[in-house]
Amino acid sequence: MPTFNHDVVIIGSGASGGMAAYILAQAGVKCLMLEAGPMVDFTRHRSLKAVYDLPFRGFGEPGRFPHITQASEFDANLWIDEKKNPYSHPENDPYYWVRIRLLGGKTLRWGRASWRLSDYEFKGKDHDGWGENWPLSLADLAPFYDRVEPLFRVSGRNEGWAQLPDGKLLADESTESLSMERFLASAKKLGVPTTKPRRATGTLASSVNLLLPAAQATGNLTIVPNAIVREIGIDPKTGLVNAVHYIDRRSKREYTVPTKTLFLGASTLESTRLLLNSRSRQYPTGLANSSGVLGHYLFDQFYVKNSVTALVPEARGGKGPRNLMGGAGYVPRFTNLKPGKPEKNYLRGWAWDFGSGGTPSPELFPQWGDELARTMADAQGAGFSMTTMGESLPRFEHKLTIHPTLRDEWGIPAPHLEQRYTDNEHNMAKDAMETGVAMCEGAGFEVLAAHSQMVPPGESIHELGTCRMGADPKKSVLNSFNQAHDVKNLFVLDGSAFPSGGAQNPTLTILALTVRASEYLLEQKKQGKL
Amino acid sequence: MKRRHLLQTLAATPALLPAQQTTPSPDENVVLAVVSPDFAGLPVRRFLTPDQYATLQSLADLIAPSIDGRPGAKEAEAAPFLDFLLAKSPRDRQALYQRGLDTLNRTARTRHQKAFAELLPADANALLAPLKAKWTYSVPTDPVAAFLRAAKADIIRATTNSRAVAEANVAGRRRATGLNPYWQVIE
Repeated sequence: MPTFNHDVVIIGSGASGGMAAYILAQAGVKCLMLEAGPMVDFTRHRSLKAVYDLPFRGFGEPGRFPHITQASEFDANLWIDEKKNPYSHPENDPYYWVRIRLLGGKTLRWGRASWRLSDYEFKGKDHDGWGENWPLSLADLAPFYDRVEPLFRVSGRNEGWAQLPDGKLLADESTESLSMERFLASAKKLGVPTTKPRRATGTLASSVNLLLPAAQATGNLTIVPNAIVREIGIDPKTGLVNAVHYIDRRSKREYTVPTKTLFLGASTLESTRLLLNSRSRQYPTGLANSSGVLGHYLFDQFYVKNSVTALVPEARGGKGPRNLMGGAGYVPRFTNLKPGKPEKNYLRGWAWDFGSGGTPSPELFPQWGDELARTMADAQGAGFSMTTMGESLPRFEHKLTIHPTLRDEWGIPAPHLEQRYTDNEHNMAKDAMETGVAMCEGAGFEVLAAHSQMVPPGESIHELGTCRMGADPKKSVLNSFNQAHDVKNLFVLDGSAFPSGGAQNPTLTILALTVRASEYLLEQKKQGKL
Repeated sequence: MKRRHLLQTLAATPALLPAQQTTPSPDENVVLAVVSPDFAGLPVRRFLTPDQYATLQSLADLIAPSIDGRPGAKEAEAAPFLDFLLAKSPRDRQALYQRGLDTLNRTARTRHQKAFAELLPADANALLAPLKAKWTYSVPTDPVAAFLRAAKADIIRATTNSRAVAEANVAGRRRATGLNPYWQVIE
């Protein structure tokens, strides 16, 4: 018989679930973590293979992943099975929901880019009148960013920019390659700011190595893999969460576990799906949904992959000096920073990742046969590429709803996802492309290809919103501590809480918000309020 | 075909004489040398018609020929592999290839009274002119241009990722390619 001695149930083991366990367990709180997927054994599950030894020669099994373009034949078994875990979207508006169901979640595969949000995001409405402000400011969150960055060993360079706040970073003092120097000089001439990448370092930067071991070492964390949560139960008398109902992934046997407090970090869309699937007399449209906005304001960051691809002429044929190629960088948002009317034909702004080196894809060259082979040999290592990441505006009509009939392998109602990019995002992408071309040409690079076609919504794996925080309980689901306005012992910690997202990768902010929410819970407990 | 010759030679080698037999080991942790199915047998055509298959083989030769002894699409058996891949592919991908290969062959017969696979290289290359168009993100609206673009990428990838190219890289003391961590099914 289980003893049920935990104070908190944590759903999910990725960035938010892992961080919640890290803070709470070390503070003496007994935690029970439910993770839908199995545990990864890096020694047993991973081995070196040659691509020609794979059944599909590296192409992957056709049709296995209609939406997960990131999956390769090497890592296909890490990504979710789309047949067992279906969802829907409007026929002409594809949504690419990219998921991993394993202990550690997407922190096993994230890109590690770790930027702080600024008050251009937290107080965006004050700046340009669009949308809603966050119910907190950079000053509120900065102390928590300060603690997360060293834990994830984030390297980078502080620049003192308001739109890209400085952090507690491992200083990146690497020198620039000659091609990068030229590009940076061209950017400067055009008034475009540039900096070093800011990334979590180390062989692995995941909750499974940075957060969960420390939490478990306290003896206060029990981890349950293969536990797919179906519904959250509430006490009809108090309206508080009192139980979690889950299904064993392998046997499909159902279980119920009581809880005093629930920390929900199942990922942006899974958390909201779970809340919408947890209907009761008190919450007929979904748990904690008295505002009616649960599921709404779905957004992400749009990506234009390889928006500009260029060649560095001096590197052709491998003739350049040894320090000609290499290196990477980042352009933060720099448009529409002045208050008032936007200077561009869009609101907000975009960012770039750029890198020197590598060989452009043969598809970009209008040749074949011997001629293409000669060109590819000539272009080897001479490439320069830029990827645009832009803010997409949260809109009420972009939403997650529960499909009336579609169910997953475990009989749980599946989501229907609706999001499309509007003129604001398309205008941004076009401006980014044109500016990128000008920067490359200014550096003397040969532009091979440029485009402004973003990948479908969701593909950036930066899905956000649908359970937004806000100061007004009539317009939001959560308060500034990720606590549900309606249900005081329910905290939703992942990207679903974001009211807006800027162009910065969201994981660092999810981690900082979780530290803040966890310590708020500790304080509330101390005061006897929870 | 070298590997098959090797296997035939091995098969023809007389079995070890009883005097040379080693004592059986009770150890259960035995590791035996094995080869993958595509190392041992000839692939069976699964999807394309004989005409389409011949057209694809010729096209693959033009796109990725063997250069300076380095394996091309033919040595990499790119066309047989793509035939197999197409058999498992979604319907729209299959139709793209079927229409594209049929059109190439039909155009060759109209212009030269020969199948595409029988054309002189200069005549065959002339039919690939849509590949000279500047790259755009959007897929070309012309079905032949769209097919050629897809086929070019697939043929190059199937060649680059082949055992033949990997072995040539090792033999030529070039950097080994295509080695990556592989993740097993996690249960």
